[in-house]
Amino acid sequence: MDSASAPHRIPPEMPQYGEENHIFELMQNMLEQLLIHQPEDPIPFMIQHLHKDNDNVPRIVILGPPASGKTTIAMWLCKHLNSSLLTLENLVLNEFSLMATKAKRLYLQRKTIPSALLVQLIQERLAEEDCVKRGWILDGIPETREQALRIQTLGITPRHVIVLSAPDTVLIERNLGKRIDPQTGEIYHTTFDWPPESEIQNRLMVPEDISELETAQKLLEYHRNIVRVIPSYPKILKVISADQPCVDVFYQALTYVQSNHRTNAPFTPRVLLLGPVGSGKSLQAALLAQKYRLVNVCCGQLLKEAMADRTTFGELIQPFFEKEMAVPDSLLMKVLSQRLDQQDCIQKGWVLHGVPRDLDQAHLLNSLGYNPNRVFFLNVPFDSIMERLTLRRIDPVTGERYHLMYKPPPTMEIQARLLQNPKDAEEQVKLKMDLFYRNSADLEQLYGSAITVNGDQDPYTVFEYIESGIINPLPKKIP
Amino acid sequence: MLSTRNSRSGSQPQGSQGRHVTAPGRGRRSRTAGTPRSRLATAGREPMETSNRELQAAEYLERHRIKELVSYLTSALLFFRPEKPREYLISLLERLRIAKVTGVAFPFFMDNSNIVAMFEMMDPSGRGTISFVQYKEALKTLGLCTEDEDLKDDGHIITLDKFKEEVNKRMKEICEKTKGKDSESYQTAAGLLLLH
Repeated sequence: MDSASAPHRIPPEMPQYGEENHIFELMQNMLEQLLIHQPEDPIPFMIQHLHKDNDNVPRIVILGPPASGKTTIAMWLCKHLNSSLLTLENLVLNEFSLMATKAKRLYLQRKTIPSALLVQLIQERLAEEDCVKRGWILDGIPETREQALRIQTLGITPRHVIVLSAPDTVLIERNLGKRIDPQTGEIYHTTFDWPPESEIQNRLMVPEDISELETAQKLLEYHRNIVRVIPSYPKILKVISADQPCVDVFYQALTYVQSNHRTNAPFTPRVLLLGPVGSGKSLQAALLAQKYRLVNVCCGQLLKEAMADRTTFGELIQPFFEKEMAVPDSLLMKVLSQRLDQQDCIQKGWVLHGVPRDLDQAHLLNSLGYNPNRVFFLNVPFDSIMERLTLRRIDPVTGERYHLMYKPPPTMEIQARLLQNPKDAEEQVKLKMDLFYRNSADLEQLYGSAITVNGDQDPYTVFEYIESGIINPLPKKIP
Repeated sequence: MLSTRNSRSGSQPQGSQGRHVTAPGRGRRSRTAGTPRSRLATAGREPMETSNRELQAAEYLERHRIKELVSYLTSALLFFRPEKPREYLISLLERLRIAKVTGVAFPFFMDNSNIVAMFEMMDPSGRGTISFVQYKEALKTLGLCTEDEDLKDDGHIITLDKFKEEVNKRMKEICEKTKGKDSESYQTAAGLLLLH
């Protein structure tokens, strides 16, 4: 009400709940369906939609030239994802539909059916229970722009579109080796995909229309049509090269289909960077804070600031620092909570590094409610870390920090007076690394959805990996 | 002439969850008055069919007050944070549906104690009056007045009684328009608001 005079303070539980349960996507899907169907009575429609609960079922379209392996990939995906496969053949040969019997006659005569009829068949089939509950995969449909538009007007939208592509010569050659098993309908190949069982081998048939000329004609037609179909699916399309072993194509398709697209959901990043000393956590945190305006919370820094400001916590921490002992967890958590509860952290999000050091600290963090929504492990091999840390030097006169390999001092005079921080001595570094590795297995288990990044590259490459991990939705784990 | 008609219909207060019925006579009149002009206009715009669809969609959202409904559902979800969001949403929608059918006033309406509480929130020092800007914002929050409506600031201070009176008046207007004066929901809603 009085939002002009006092800004709204949204308790942090709300955005956390929203993110975990994907409320934004839920509402967005419901609104989309409402706008597509525009029912006269929206409330029963919404109730029905929520009951269906099929926002995340696979809705895939696989397109590609003849002999690219579409049907094989489609069948494998079907088996893996437990969805229904829709091809021209099985739509037309559907015994349970009146429209299909009509279409069958046309199909047997001319091998194709008019687009309008095809699209009606699809609509009918997609309304059936199994497609609604378990998802569907369209193999080779839509072939032309007209079909694509008609499907779109009915409100049928796929979530992932895969286009297989390979050079024409490869395809023509490949098509010559195509063989079909008449019983199961599976497609085999004389060179690439020969069935192991001899009984299948014996009953394989050579399909008609695989001669070079026919394949070339079909390819021409395909190229003419696909150019107009691709722009209909701008953001959900992925082109996979079919010129590789079947298994590779399948795995690429599977990972793509199981990934979620970026959404417009509001997202405050709460990033946790874990890694041994010298892996680049502070640098990455600083880059992230600068680019995304997050708050950079470095545990060690916080403690030192508390001491320097001589706050109550600072006084308590001082004795531990003087004796070079680790600050107890409870005190640490209090200082952290104080920082993370401040309004700028809640609103803008934070990047945390330096904590938790072990499982107990991690559990404490969780119990206080500071759950990170992205966790990154920066992996750097031991030798790189040694190189990075033991060659650090500081110039006592100017205060500049140098590195004997990556940022050497410009003159011999400066080099002569450089000093090394005793923390960077080899023994100390080894001790700290051992400490980290002892605890890392537990932490990896706790943060199941953490992303591992190779920290042994130049900082901007690592930054890009981290960025893509934050921006893209978390990948679904394959069950 | 058309524009004033539209602004009057635009001032239909939000807040009721039922279907908003514009008085059919008024709608028909404005449409026939505009037909020759609008037909020419759409003929020129024929290639841009998507914009027509967009307008249609926007009009659908407006007619069924979908935006308010979705906003209410999302706020309820985020406030109560149930374990199972889908089931909770379904239960809310079921209650809404039943409320529409039986005409029982849904807990969504403000009753008198809420109005008093709102007033007290805006007037923390207990002077007994609120400023005009606060009053207008409060009405907007309750969904009882739209952005463009121009409330006249007659210079009088706004006391609790005036605030209550205005809220009640607007609520009655909504009930009248959606269900008609003889309907049950009008009686019950009016009763809830005015009696205590």
